[in-house]
Amino acid sequence: MSVTTVDPCQGMTPPNMMTPDALSPVNLYRSAAIDPALVRDVVTVAREQAIRSDSDAVFPVTVLNRMRSTRLLGLAVPTAFGGIGGTVEDVMAVSHEISRVCMASGMIFAMHCQQVTTMVEHASPELAARVLPRIAQGEVYLASVTTEPGKGGYLLTAQAAVERDGDRLLVNRMAPVVTGGEHADGFLITMRDGQDGTANQVSLVYADVSDVSAQPLGGWDSLGMRATRSVPMRIVGSVPPENIVGEPGKFREIVVRTFGPLAHLGWAACWLGTAGGALARTVMLLRSPQERKRRDLSSDLLRTRLSKIRQRLDVVHAMMAHATAVYRTGDTTTLGAPNAQLLMNALKVTASEQCLAAVDELIEVVGMRHGYLKDSSLALERALRDLRSAALNYSNDRLHAVDGALVLLDSEVRFV
Amino acid sequence: MDEKFTTVLRPHLPFLPADRQLSDSDALRDLGLNSMQAIEVLFAVEDAYGAVIPDDKLNDETFATVGSLWQAVEDAMQRQEVGR
Repeated sequence: MSVTTVDPCQGMTPPNMMTPDALSPVNLYRSAAIDPALVRDVVTVAREQAIRSDSDAVFPVTVLNRMRSTRLLGLAVPTAFGGIGGTVEDVMAVSHEISRVCMASGMIFAMHCQQVTTMVEHASPELAARVLPRIAQGEVYLASVTTEPGKGGYLLTAQAAVERDGDRLLVNRMAPVVTGGEHADGFLITMRDGQDGTANQVSLVYADVSDVSAQPLGGWDSLGMRATRSVPMRIVGSVPPENIVGEPGKFREIVVRTFGPLAHLGWAACWLGTAGGALARTVMLLRSPQERKRRDLSSDLLRTRLSKIRQRLDVVHAMMAHATAVYRTGDTTTLGAPNAQLLMNALKVTASEQCLAAVDELIEVVGMRHGYLKDSSLALERALRDLRSAALNYSNDRLHAVDGALVLLDSEVRFV
Repeated sequence: MDEKFTTVLRPHLPFLPADRQLSDSDALRDLGLNSMQAIEVLFAVEDAYGAVIPDDKLNDETFATVGSLWQAVEDAMQRQEVGR
């Protein structure tokens, strides 16, 4: 595989071997850039608020505030802009660890970092200099605005057009699902490239919250992921012309190089975190002296079930580690090839299915009291509800439809 | 290694003759311990001593000999003492 000529990780800390203390449970090569104490700090806050923000369906403001004050919000910002300069493995490790206790908080963090890296790799120097230092300081939480009514959920099309008006770009965009939109300080919005652009000519536009009015149009009372407050919104205002991220109308290139892989890698890290946390808590319960007296840990059925659950997670982990390496060493050409896209999509679909199945089986293992009740300390019930969103969070059906076409393009079946 | 340790261990070592004493260098696998039973030995030891052997010690090295397992138990008890 060829290596990109322009290093997108310039200014970032290179991955290196970890000391055991710094080793994340996801065991990807986390760089030395992150202070593990800061991650523990955020995880502690995330754990404390997880039950309440889920039951009340409120955004985890305390967690976001701690991400701001620890500057972890600037994890993916290069040091040249005052950020931590973390790698993709760093982002995934932190997202994973937070998701072990609160998947909503983990996903909020992972998706913010996906937006940040998109800015780092594709924003104009002027825009990068204006926004990245503020993200590094913890001042800007970025929300993603890619959904739009009537386009069937396709990422690569847009209907509402961005219009030029003198020296400003006019934005008027409705989106049915904007995670954390009410708390965002900036938005990355997909829009059709002007009235003359086709639905496939999509531009990515950055809008600072001070440049637009961002009105929620409804609430978010969901089965799981309740704390993400993924509300419908209308965003209206005007932004400077430099706020187009990447080439006008060429959002697809951003998706191939950055946006798509990071979505799937970040989500997979979160889902695996939630399922991994659920398994860890369950094993701790099963191994506790009290519980040991109550059940037969030598039961073949129990052991087979535990084995299959762990197998599911190891499959996801292996795919994720491989896909991460492909992403890190890839360039626009290699990542745009059918085999790489198939891998990224397969990671997403597999993680969404296997992590949910693992938690479902854990509930079967521990039974009604520890598995099904909301006040069980294992929190399997919340993990199950949260993970049910995974297949819908960019629909698996839609990915399979794309993948089927890609399979036909890769007639030699060359694995990446 | 104390007397209790031998008592706890013995039922899990089917190839250990009833009249033979255990020594530090005895290989647990040779005496019949396999990885399926290691978890039972672990629970028995943890119950007997009220100490938890940490995950990173649950490896082949710890379960290699009577002495290495006893060492892990002693370490765990010591850590528990310090933690109190």
